[in-house]
Amino acid sequence: MISNVVLATGFGLILTGIWGMLTHRNILRIVIAFSLIGTGTHIAIVAIGYVANGTAPIIDRALSMTDAPAYAVDPIPAALVVTAIVIGLAVTAIMLAYAIRLYDSKKTLSIDAFTESRW
Amino acid sequence: MAELIGGILILLGAVLHFSAGLGLLRMPDPYTRMQAATKAPTLGNMLVLGGLAFYHPGWTLKLLILIYFVLMTNPVSSHALARTAYRIGIAMTPQSKVRAQPRSEA
Amino acid sequence: MIRRAGITVVVALFGLVFASVAFHHVERQSLPPLSLSYVKLVPQELGAPNVITGILLTYRAFDTLGEVAVLFMVAAGVGLVVGAGGRLGAGSHVEAREQARQASEIVRTGAQILAPLIAIFAAYIIMNGHLSAGGGFQGGAVVASCVMLLVLANPWQRLNPDFLGSAESLAGVLFVLIGVAGAILAGGFLDNRVLPLGAFGAFFSAGAIPVLSVLLGVKVGCELSVIIDGFRV
Repeated sequence: MISNVVLATGFGLILTGIWGMLTHRNILRIVIAFSLIGTGTHIAIVAIGYVANGTAPIIDRALSMTDAPAYAVDPIPAALVVTAIVIGLAVTAIMLAYAIRLYDSKKTLSIDAFTESRW
Repeated sequence: MAELIGGILILLGAVLHFSAGLGLLRMPDPYTRMQAATKAPTLGNMLVLGGLAFYHPGWTLKLLILIYFVLMTNPVSSHALARTAYRIGIAMTPQSKVRAQPRSEA
Repeated sequence: MIRRAGITVVVALFGLVFASVAFHHVERQSLPPLSLSYVKLVPQELGAPNVITGILLTYRAFDTLGEVAVLFMVAAGVGLVVGAGGRLGAGSHVEAREQARQASEIVRTGAQILAPLIAIFAAYIIMNGHLSAGGGFQGGAVVASCVMLLVLANPWQRLNPDFLGSAESLAGVLFVLIGVAGAILAGGFLDNRVLPLGAFGAFFSAGAIPVLSVLLGVKVGCELSVIIDGFRV
């Protein structure tokens, strides 16, 4: 039940990001929507790995080594998302660098000004 | 009883967070939006963390340190943003009555 | 009008697919076989209580090396894309920085109080990677946020690109050398048993994982700092 709610939240964020990316005309808002899609994907991936009544896959006072196989949540999606978050930051940085160069060339942040590659 | 107080504090914090979101949508210009988006969640965070301290009394010291950290960082960052916005010339909404410093000396 | 309708159709179609996935998702009752073997193997063979760090730094460490290479390329790319525009020539660069107004007193005082806290927090996250939640990537991001705070508070201060570049390269080279040592002395590339496993849950335990965490934290921190520095005037 919980993982369905979290999965739906992740998908909701992805949908918001897709809508924002297609609707807005300001480049910075498109970059924010892209970042939303990334965050939503991370949430959805971690939600898929939930095991019923599970807890974090770290062996400490709350989870002993013998209980771990029965009560630990799937560690593989979490490991994937850890690096994905930092890479998402780096990709956002590249997008903002491109936004800076686009602004320098046409002095406007509206994406309607760039029509060279449109059919 | 302690849980009731904690629950009320967390509810107040949630109401403040909601008002911050509402203010972000409805405020007319960037400065008022920044005010809504940074000042209200600071207090909201502090109330939520304080309410949590009633649920888990063993965590009180950690939560106090967290409240201190939130209180230090949020106003500093919002001040830096607002000052930069004023210096680069973002206009205020015409409804504001203000006698402001010249932009180059802010 | 047409565009609006098209966007609504696209979002609605995506929404249908996502809704069906979220609705039919059945929560797992037990771990899949690969995760089960990881959860059993990491505490026993590697001596690390944190299963996720054990996966990231030993079993899938080669992927981590690839991610670090991607970060390096992005850091180089940001410098190239932003710097090539000739927004300010090399000479006026320095003048503009010297003329840059001092940051306000609130930001300077706040940075004086917060920067040590954030640095300690970053070191704690990096060093505790194998014991509790944390690790190299997360700690490196916090290091970069500390650098960003200092850059905001002292706008005239230059970051030394030579130091950042050489620290980052040194960390990367040591990472690969430990990996090769793992191939020679222990089971395979980036096996963590080159260093003694130690007592379970102690600070110096889990073989080479804390060392790899530190190197990863330094490398990621330097790369993100270079990215932040690339955006400065």
